[in-house]
Amino acid sequence: MEMVIMAAAVIIGLGALGAGIGFGLLGGKLLESTARQPEMANQLQTKTFIMAGLLDAVPMIGVGIAMYLIFVVAG
Amino acid sequence: MARSGKRFNRVPLVRWFVIEFAAVAVMALLWATQGVLAGYSALVGGLIYLVPNTWFAYQVYKVEGARNMSRMVGNLFRAESIKLALTAVFFAAVFNLMEPIHVPALLFTFAVMVVMGAALRWFIRPTPQR
Repeated sequence: MEMVIMAAAVIIGLGALGAGIGFGLLGGKLLESTARQPEMANQLQTKTFIMAGLLDAVPMIGVGIAMYLIFVVAG
Repeated sequence: MARSGKRFNRVPLVRWFVIEFAAVAVMALLWATQGVLAGYSALVGGLIYLVPNTWFAYQVYKVEGARNMSRMVGNLFRAESIKLALTAVFFAAVFNLMEPIHVPALLFTFAVMVVMGAALRWFIRPTPQR
């Protein structure tokens, strides 16, 4: 049971780490490119939103599987 | 600055939501061929994706324009953390409170909706207005 909880913690932790790095890069690049070309801000915001959707797909599924491990397999 | 007065993008939030909800309903009907419990679980799995994601889209497009970009990035980070937390809370609530649950239907529908949601935002993009 402890190993299942550890596995869920690793899934959530690594997912959050990856999403955090990805969103940090994404937000930083958005600010940088908007400062360079303010007239492109709307298109850049749209592209950022699309990339955010792609970026958080894996952590979201990871959260679902981790909750299943915690509450169904271990619980 | 609180909120940009002029709308720069026509964001198809309602169209995204309607298409995603229709996809959830279709998935639930397909799973319902395996039994009522599977169909119900698929519907719940789709809603677990749909509710936090609609809120995320609303938060990200609350402010627009180059002047408000740092505020928009702050909203993006906040909305993403809250979306992940909401998803975890919804899953925990479902696994604790819904006693008979068809787990494959729930997780499969959720995973399909996550992938489909990203693809949908790619194909139906907001139309920029200058």
